[in-house]
Amino acid sequence: MKNRDSTKYLRNATLFALASILLFIWVFPLVWAVVVSLKSEAEVLAYPPRIIFEATAQNFKDALFGGVSILPSLITSLIVSTATTILTILIAVPAAYAFARLELRGKKWLGFYTLATQMVPPVGLVIPYFLILNKVGWLDSYQGMITVYLTFSLPFAIWLLVSYMEDIPREMEEAAFLDKANRFQALWHVILPQVRGGIAVTIIFVFLNAWNEFLFAVQLGGNTVRPVTVAMYNFVSVEQTLWAKLSAAALIAMVPMIIIGITAQKQIVKGLTVGAVKGGGRQ
Amino acid sequence: MSSPMNQSKRAHGRGRVSLRGIRKSFGTFEALKGIDLDIEPVEFFALLGPSGSGKTTTLRVLAGLTPPDEGLMTVDGVDVTHSQPGERDVAMVFQNYALYPHMTLEANIGFPLKMDGVPKNQIPGMVRDAAAKVKIDHLLHRRPGQLSGGQQQRCALARAIVRQPRLFLLDEPLSNLDAQLRLETRVELKKLQRSLDVTTVYVTHDQEEAMTIADRMAVFLDGSIVQVGTPDEVFNKPSNVDVAAFIGSPSMNLIEGHLNGKTVSIGDYRFDLPKLSNHPSGNVIVGIRPSHIALGGAGLTANLYLSENLGESMLLNFKVGDNLIKVRLPEVRSFTDNEVVHLTFDSAHVHLFDPKSGIRIDL
Repeated sequence: MKNRDSTKYLRNATLFALASILLFIWVFPLVWAVVVSLKSEAEVLAYPPRIIFEATAQNFKDALFGGVSILPSLITSLIVSTATTILTILIAVPAAYAFARLELRGKKWLGFYTLATQMVPPVGLVIPYFLILNKVGWLDSYQGMITVYLTFSLPFAIWLLVSYMEDIPREMEEAAFLDKANRFQALWHVILPQVRGGIAVTIIFVFLNAWNEFLFAVQLGGNTVRPVTVAMYNFVSVEQTLWAKLSAAALIAMVPMIIIGITAQKQIVKGLTVGAVKGGGRQ
Repeated sequence: MSSPMNQSKRAHGRGRVSLRGIRKSFGTFEALKGIDLDIEPVEFFALLGPSGSGKTTTLRVLAGLTPPDEGLMTVDGVDVTHSQPGERDVAMVFQNYALYPHMTLEANIGFPLKMDGVPKNQIPGMVRDAAAKVKIDHLLHRRPGQLSGGQQQRCALARAIVRQPRLFLLDEPLSNLDAQLRLETRVELKKLQRSLDVTTVYVTHDQEEAMTIADRMAVFLDGSIVQVGTPDEVFNKPSNVDVAAFIGSPSMNLIEGHLNGKTVSIGDYRFDLPKLSNHPSGNVIVGIRPSHIALGGAGLTANLYLSENLGESMLLNFKVGDNLIKVRLPEVRSFTDNEVVHLTFDSAHVHLFDPKSGIRIDL
């Protein structure tokens, strides 16, 4: 018994040490950003770096309200990301339902086509998108940026949601049909509440991707539509990089993601359908 | 089988169902090969057959969940062959219950009422009544995941009976319950059906379940209905060899024999069937249930192969040539290995079948 206990202890200690190392590697940049954001620009460049320094909130003030404020860009990012997410969900939910349940002609082919769009490297699409948006007159416009983002988020969202919907036993819907629900009512009352977890996950990923997107934003945006990822670049110039302000801006840009992550996490847990059907449901 | 009370209800009752020439294929598999069926109002009707025989497909055709390739279905004279499930006024209990996991029992049972446009203030009362009938009215605020299998099954029943449907469909509703609960629920289900006066179609592969619960039943084999009748008729006058082998547990002994006038011979054993009228002589298949064979007398010589003690009775397996003959003895006594005995058949309970077609020869 004693021997087994000590083996178990050793195993736990090893796992804990490994996890700590991995966590440290992962968290270090974040911690460093926090540290840097609280320093003055001069302090950042001090060598060797000092552990003890006079913390200041000036960088956050400057990043938000200074000469090169990221506040307008934050609002732009919020508009673009929210609109992309809402439109994606509005289109992807019925599309995923159709893929999961309806007998459509060419469904397999359509499914592959949807997935195939994900296989093209984004860099290869920048120039075609630029030319198209230029022709339509949608360069540096909200509708242009959101449309481009939808081309990436929709295939991803549809495929994620299809897997959630396929997990729901067909009898569930058939029972709803026999209970005189039409297809829309069955989707609304019976299917959607059970894929809440899947929708929450989809929202997080779509919002996160749109919020963090840089390549298309920098090429297809401009002065009207300048998301926060692009705006942060204002702190980097040929002559110097304002590390402290850049760190502060980066930390501010993370806040919405963290809020969404925490709120949606509860929904993911709620979305589990344990005990719905004998031997069925997402366990 | 049906009481006079039921007879009078049938005359003006609702829920008369008829199927004519229903065919359904899935790819190359022919699931239903032309089904004709008439179900009377208020009847408790069982669809019995082994798995893959087409009974569940027939139920789904009745529900409108599986549209037939060919054929006609009417309910109370109205053609509903191509109606949507919701337009048929049918309720169904699924084998896996298909309860809505995110809703409380109250919401589950009330869902059909809500969809049917029943005024909101009437729903709680109707839900409570239905739940009380299956004794789950104290669980209404729980969710399906917090219930036992038996309670889930009752919830599925309550959801089906809450809006008094024209037709009540049950797909192996007891198969997920343990043996003890299955027997109890079987009795309650029968009582419930009597009190509701709703035409009920019940799918099962368990012949004992069908025998005890149904007013009439249809026996399915291989995509066709081979016999329709009361449990008594199906048990005592199986229409062919397959039905004879399927109904009854342990199953009927089927032995090759020869018919000459009114005399049947199996090997050296001969017995007369006085009621038999004018059937040409030739080979026949002799069917006899294990409980209709007695030991002793000038009978069929047999070797004891295996004896099973069932407590109050014994099940004996005898070898006669290559055939295995089962005998149920209403008493328990001891036998020696390979003991030689003589088996005599109760001629009142002998069945004869044509060896080529398998069809019953009427006695």
